[in-house]
This record gives sequence, structure tokens and C-alpha cells, in this order.
Amino acid sequence: MAGAGAAEGRDRFGLGWRPELAAGILAHLDRIDVIEVIAEDYFDAGRADLRALRTLAAQVSMVLHGTSLGLASTTLVAPRRLDRLARLVEASDAEGWSEHLAFVRGGGIEIGHLAAPPRTEASIEGARRNIERASRIIGCTPLVENIATLVVPPASRLDEAEWTHRIVCGTGAGLLLDLHNLYANAVNFGDDPHTLLRRFPLEQVAAVHLAGGRWIDGPNGARRLLDDHLHDVPPAVFELLRELGCLAPQPLTVIIERDGRFPPIARLLEQLDLARTALAAGRTSVR
Amino acid sequence: MSSPALEEFLARLYTDEAALSAFLGAPTETARAAGLDHAEISALAGADQAGLIMAAASFRAKRKRRSRRHRLLRWI
Repeated sequence: MAGAGAAEGRDRFGLGWRPELAAGILAHLDRIDVIEVIAEDYFDAGRADLRALRTLAAQVSMVLHGTSLGLASTTLVAPRRLDRLARLVEASDAEGWSEHLAFVRGGGIEIGHLAAPPRTEASIEGARRNIERASRIIGCTPLVENIATLVVPPASRLDEAEWTHRIVCGTGAGLLLDLHNLYANAVNFGDDPHTLLRRFPLEQVAAVHLAGGRWIDGPNGARRLLDDHLHDVPPAVFELLRELGCLAPQPLTVIIERDGRFPPIARLLEQLDLARTALAAGRTSVR
Repeated sequence: MSSPALEEFLARLYTDEAALSAFLGAPTETARAAGLDHAEISALAGADQAGLIMAAASFRAKRKRRSRRHRLLRWI
């Protein structure tokens, strides 16, 4: 089985599979190359649901996307979590899987979402250990995704680009580069998004996430961009995709994520077309 | 620096409003009481407090949204 981003020698464009979008996706498979299924939604699936998932995978390329392993932790991911994902990867006929460079629990406390760990030598080592172990148990290496954070991870010693570089290059894992996460972190913490993009290990990028978000206000006048997956992909993120197309010549799988406030499918298909246009424009640019 | 104990401490700040409030009022003392090492305590004293508050609020909202979420329709 290939990694989740291994394309067939060409760029591919698709959507995150959500129940609210299912009918629209199935009606437009001629415009959708790939879908991304949230792994946790199927951990307790029965035989009928798994059969449905395989039927789906027979119609359109499918990748699994995990959200709950917590790979970037100094604590080992519990074997039962890896076994569960291994069974799903095997049973679903997915072409691969991905997970986030995040921690999601500590000392038995479940955060309930993706948190940025302190960017340190210890979390690099922990992430490497978890990725290698997960790859062995699941049978293929994941793509690992950069996450958005509203807080500078406390006690960090490295910046995000260097930390990510060290993990990805130390494990051979491909990078699932979320351009809205990158954009949000850049604008929230005073970096130029394009400069930050160029500091990521772009030769390792196999897949891309696109999403939208909104500005939120915090205490003491703080204002930050929240990656909420509830809004359209902003022009600035398409511009990053264009630049990525110029800097990363390898085939990419581009997925738009939408988790709520679902627009008509036509609008998401328009966004996919914008992504195609942006990446193609980058491909034709001089590097 | 960056240890299971630090991850547990952060997980608590992100999930327990009283713990976050106590930390914001006395970062060094709270971190010391949690058994963190000197480097971690020192780093936490200068933590991005606005970011911590915003992150905790965001995680709280996401947990609430998830708990309301209906079981997914997997097929049509």
C-alpha cells in the first residue's frame, strides 16, 4: 500500500468526506479525484459500514485521516489505538493514512482536540518514536500534518518549521502540509506566510490541506486567526498553494476540509477549481 | 524539557478552567506544585497567557461541538 499522498504521477484534488457532503460528492465524482475519510468515524463501524466504505473506495481514491493518536507526544501512543487504526486501514481499502503532529492527551486527560506540544528535542524524539512504531504496526508510513495553534506552545525551544523539518526528515514520513494552518500560525505570531512556507521541508510534501477560518478576539487586545473549517478557503491560502506549486514539483494531493456551515456542493467544487488553477499557475512559474 | 509531566500540565490547563485561572494568577507556584522541573517552570512563567486563554476556550468549544454531533451518516 502506498502512502496517503502517493499520487499517480499527477496532482489530485478532493474533499474531506462528511455525511452532509456525501450526496454532493457522490454526484460529482467526475470532478473529485480523492476523498479523505476521518478514521475515528469508523473505529466502531460494523461490517455493513465497512463494506460501504470499501464500496466507496472502489469508486474514488480514498485516504484515512486520523485525529486522535497524538503522535507528537513524549508518551508512546497506546498499542490499542494503533491496532484499531491498523484494522481500519486493512478493512477499508484506503490507499494510506495521515495524522497530525500534535498531542491530544496528557496523564490521562483528554484535551479533545489537537494541541501543539512544546517544540523541543524531547517532542521530536517522541514523535519519531511514535511515527516509526505506528508505521510498523499499521504497515505503512503516515503523512504527518502541521497543526494550527492559538498559543505559542509553552516551553518551546525550536520554531515550527525547524521542529517539523527535524521530525519529517528523521522519519522519512511525507508531509501533509495544511496551508491554512501554516497561514494562521504565521499571521498569529508575526511571521510572513510565504517566508514560513519556504522554511518547511517542501521536498517531503505529498499532500495539502486547504480550509478557512475567522478572526477571534482574546484578552488584552489579542486577536488571532482561528482555523475553524467553517469558512471558504481565503485568497491568501490559494496564493500559498500557487507558490507551493512552484517550489514543490512532485505530484500533490490537495484536499479541501469543511466541517460545518456547509455550502452547496457547487461552491466547494468552485473552490476545488480555484485550487486547480492556483497549483497549475505555480507549476508553470519559473522556480 | 518537554516531558510527560509537562504535557499533563498543559492538558490540564486546556481542560480545567479553575486550573488555568490558578496558573494565570501564579504561574511559577502552580508549575512548581505540579512537580515540573526548573527549566519548565521558568519557561511557563513567560508563557503566552492570552494564547493559553484563547486555546483553552477553543478546545472547550470544540469538545462541546463534538458532544452534540450526531452519529455520522456513513452512507446514503
